[in-house]
Amino acid sequence: MPNCLVIEDDTETRDYLCSGLRAAGYAVQAEIDGEAGNRRLQETRWDVVVLDRMLPGQVDGLGILEQMRSRGDGTPVLILSALNSVDERVRGLRAGSDDYLTKPFVMSELLARVENLSRRNTWSRDAAVLQVADLQLDVRTMRVTRQGTAITLQPREFRLLEYLMRHEGQIVTRTMLLEGVWEYHFDPQTNVIDVQISRLRSKIDKDFTPALIHTVRGAGYVLSASPTYGPTAR
Amino acid sequence: MRGSIAFRLAVGYGVLVAASMAALSVIVYVGTVGVFEHSIDNKIMTVEAHLADAWSAGGRAGLVREIDAQLHDLIDTDTEVVGLVDARGHVLSGNVGRWNGKLPQSGELAFGQMERNGTPVSVRFVAARLDDGNRLIVGRDLIELDAIRTVVERALLVSGAVSILLAFFGAQLFRSRLEARIGRIRRTTARIAAGELSSRIVVMGSDEFARLGDDINRMLDRIEALMEGVRHVSNSIAHDLRTPLSRVRSRLDRALQASADPHALVADARLAIEDIDSVISLFDKLLQIAALESGVRAGTFEKLDLAAIAHDMTELYEAAAEEQGIALTFSGAPTPIRGDRDLLASALASLIDNAIKYGRSGARVEVRVETADGAPALAVRDYGPGVPPADMDKITRRFYRVDQSRNLPGNGLGLSIVTAITQLHGGTLVLRPADPGFEASMVFPQA
Repeated sequence: MPNCLVIEDDTETRDYLCSGLRAAGYAVQAEIDGEAGNRRLQETRWDVVVLDRMLPGQVDGLGILEQMRSRGDGTPVLILSALNSVDERVRGLRAGSDDYLTKPFVMSELLARVENLSRRNTWSRDAAVLQVADLQLDVRTMRVTRQGTAITLQPREFRLLEYLMRHEGQIVTRTMLLEGVWEYHFDPQTNVIDVQISRLRSKIDKDFTPALIHTVRGAGYVLSASPTYGPTAR
Repeated sequence: MRGSIAFRLAVGYGVLVAASMAALSVIVYVGTVGVFEHSIDNKIMTVEAHLADAWSAGGRAGLVREIDAQLHDLIDTDTEVVGLVDARGHVLSGNVGRWNGKLPQSGELAFGQMERNGTPVSVRFVAARLDDGNRLIVGRDLIELDAIRTVVERALLVSGAVSILLAFFGAQLFRSRLEARIGRIRRTTARIAAGELSSRIVVMGSDEFARLGDDINRMLDRIEALMEGVRHVSNSIAHDLRTPLSRVRSRLDRALQASADPHALVADARLAIEDIDSVISLFDKLLQIAALESGVRAGTFEKLDLAAIAHDMTELYEAAAEEQGIALTFSGAPTPIRGDRDLLASALASLIDNAIKYGRSGARVEVRVETADGAPALAVRDYGPGVPPADMDKITRRFYRVDQSRNLPGNGLGLSIVTAITQLHGGTLVLRPADPGFEASMVFPQA
């Protein structure tokens, strides 16, 4: 069971975070200010940290993060902030955070991102050939096959599929896809990502069973051979 | 008073005039009285040398003869003082009378009082000691010098007084003019501080004050425009946030009353969350506009290719456009620009989004990157019904929505954000009817 440290001063948000993360299978501990959080960080090894940007007391979120990184602590950190501007996001990432989410947030988005971070070390990040069930993708030759049949993809569709396969079994949200595949950070408002996914789906899943790309309601998408991620799951 | 720059400038000006006047006086005085004095001394020394020669050549008799000749040669006879006196002070020859005080050392020029032809006068003289113990006195009555000195001194005094008076009044005038000009600016700023935001400094001429006035006016125009924007936004917020918030409120109220039905409760809660989400996204947009207009992000600009961004966004929206029966195409060559990649992408995304939404019937949307007169531009053109001419200049206003589009999703902030992003990049958003359809282009400054 991965463990997660939450440092957040607002009681309501902290409880919401803890219960959401526990329900998703994390062992969660919470601290309410920077000093206590800092002690906790040094006592225990954590798989992932959810850190509020603004904290009461001497050190705020960015301060804690900078101290962690200067100690050589590379634990994945997700910054939560009510400051919604691209500047703030850039500052957070520069200070060494791995991801940044603005308040108010949707729990499914937070869980997807936390999971992404806590699994970071176990990804088949560098693998050249990715395989999920009978779907195979070769990064070097840009070749995709399913059940041995070659599938022709546009370059961007290929990268979308690659991203999904590298995050196999993990929920990825629309913004994560826009950031990871298109490398743009903004809220596209319209359903552009959904349309892209449905195109990809028509090539990957339409003529084959079982379906591999699943929609997770209110959250995003997951690529998995397991039918538990079917339309009724979660 | 001492802190006033006008006062200090005036005092400085006065002191400068007084100092130059003093310097001028010294030069004039030395150039007149001083030169005259010097010439008197020269004459005395010449005569003394001449008489000394007569003494050496002709002894006492020669000297006395020469003294007489000197006194009767009709040159300078009004002012000449010449005489031979013995060691006890008796006058042996010449026009010298009694004198006050001791005679100066031999060969030394001195001022003194003595009688000339029986009249006491001030003189400049030498008293050379001769070998026989007598003394030869050669001098000049200073009456002419005194007359010249009096005239020069009086002239200097009068001109000094006049010029100091002029300097004083000049400084006063200078100060009052300076204060009047500054006072006009200060009165205007005071009126503005008191809340009269529309008042402006009256600019006259083209001097430093006029330029300052111009600068202040320009600043005021900007402030007023911003204030107007803020006022408009707060009115709009009051209106546009109230609607979804009151909807949430009534929904929750109803849910509480009918709480017997858990399904209805869940559905209401879900709808309430959706409404709140739309309020949050509205807030985010307004904050984004505020952040853009403050210009903070211009510091993180980097070198970009406009065409690459346009290509990416076209590709991103292509599938969504196709679903609506629209062919989205891109054309353009690599075009360098300094900017913020995410902001430019989101502005373009917003324009494409609008074109798809409002130009659906046209079945075609073009994204173009072009360079007109060296200025890079990013244009999105649809072939739909276009925008009614009456709404053309209003569509970039915050929260403004063309009547027939009120049923479409959106909050009327899209073009405001695009405008703000374009302006942050130093460009202008040009909107024009494109018969058929509508074209929006972000025109950036020449790279």
